[in-house]
Amino acid sequence: MGVIKHWSRVCGSGVALLLAIVILGADGAAACEVPEGFARLASPQAEIAYRWEPAELKVGRFFAAEVIACRAPDAEPVRTVVLDAQMPAHGHGMNYRPAVAETGPGRFRFTGLMLHMPGTWRLTFDLFQGDRRTRLTRDITLKP
Amino acid sequence: MRAATAIAGLAALAIASGGALVGAPMARDEPAPAFSDAERAAILAHGPWPPSFDRDPSNRVSGNAAAIALGRQLFFDTRLSADGKRSCATCHDPALAFSDGRERSIGLARVDRNAIALANLRLNRWFGWSGAADSLWSHSIRPILDDKELGATPQHARDLAAADAGLAAAYASVFATAAADDQPERVLVNIAKALAAFQETIVSGRTPFDDFRDAMERGDREAMARYPVAAQRGLPIFVGKGQCSACHFGPNFTNGEFDDVGVPYFAEPGRVDQGRHGGIALLRASPFGLLGPYNDDPARTTAAPTRHVEPQHRNWGEFRVPSLRNVALTAPYMHNGSLPTLEAVVRHYSEVDIERLHGDDGARLVRPLHLSPREIADLVSFLETLSAPVSATK
Repeated sequence: MGVIKHWSRVCGSGVALLLAIVILGADGAAACEVPEGFARLASPQAEIAYRWEPAELKVGRFFAAEVIACRAPDAEPVRTVVLDAQMPAHGHGMNYRPAVAETGPGRFRFTGLMLHMPGTWRLTFDLFQGDRRTRLTRDITLKP
Repeated sequence: MRAATAIAGLAALAIASGGALVGAPMARDEPAPAFSDAERAAILAHGPWPPSFDRDPSNRVSGNAAAIALGRQLFFDTRLSADGKRSCATCHDPALAFSDGRERSIGLARVDRNAIALANLRLNRWFGWSGAADSLWSHSIRPILDDKELGATPQHARDLAAADAGLAAAYASVFATAAADDQPERVLVNIAKALAAFQETIVSGRTPFDDFRDAMERGDREAMARYPVAAQRGLPIFVGKGQCSACHFGPNFTNGEFDDVGVPYFAEPGRVDQGRHGGIALLRASPFGLLGPYNDDPARTTAAPTRHVEPQHRNWGEFRVPSLRNVALTAPYMHNGSLPTLEAVVRHYSEVDIERLHGDDGARLVRPLHLSPREIADLVSFLETLSAPVSATK
């Protein structure tokens, strides 16, 4: 019960993650310095580190998230991150709107997140630099 | 006198429902259905039961024995109504699993919705069919003031609590203040907190399903075989092709949220019951919410849902996903009591009219299941094993 099986849409396996790191390395971009307890999510355009509080997500339980925007397309700082979640199979999102607070340069803390059904949720992290939006996604499957 | 009758009814219910709802156990020559690993995991997720019931931090008298006694007295006290003829128990009768058996309840007038059975309320995040209240004590205020239910006023509540010597003494004992000295709204809130303290003690017992689920967990095939075979066939439908457990999940068989399942939402011709959409509006307008001054928890530790709830278009026509515990004892069904039997409910989902759904574009969870007659019967058999005697503090 409550065991999470999750995977990254971008880095769907260890191999994909390794490939992404290799690609990023080839571009000369610095990888995230991921603090202990954080996970990494990257695409060729952007990279973040994040963690949930509590670490294990459960259906119907509120949780918080910390997000560090490590890399984005422009030199301009990431002014905000929008974190949202949808259930693609059901065509709906969360019943609650999370609040976000900037806790430092490129660091954001979200509260009020809640995934109210078991199944696969697609979490989206939208990084905003001015009007430019760069999206990273991660799929999470919650067991009942 | 009313209270004594009600508790006698409660005892009768406990006796009457103990095992009476369970179908015939599996015949010796009928093989037990085999469950896949996924089905087994889903079944185990519906327990264990009972869970722990923690006190409500927003209600300083939650779990207080004197408050429970006061709340119990008030629950059955018809003097709390404007006409002196109705009480909470009028629509939440212990003999009917704290429901009333009507399609729509009748207080001072007929209301729009079915009376939700009261049990295991400490597990709720929201209260009422539309979740217009974010605590049990806040929810207990609404029927007292509603013109169609008890039709009282805060002044009426204070006058009752101050004038009756027994109530006044109990009130003073619980709240360390005299009702006559408190503002009417404060007395109303305190009465509601005592009512909540009592209602928190209404819990449902272990069911045949719980015994089966625990036997499955410990690998006790002999005990599992005592569970009705039809219910065993219904279980995979519930957790599998029926997708019932997507919303009715966990030990209390509900996600505590709201959904549109295609039930007509006209309270009467030309008048819509807004469901969750209206509930959120009422929540935000209420002075009795968890973000308001009557929350006894300075840290607002249980207020996150209130703080973050967001009205959305799809909330139109959504109603609460009710717990399925004791479902066989609480007919009729749905927010408007429009379905008389469990079989009618299963048939509704089997042939649901998706044109009635308000859901946004995209694949939807609620779709016609086209169940066979045997599948319908099996699913009903399973649902019938979710009931057990209800107990409440006497």
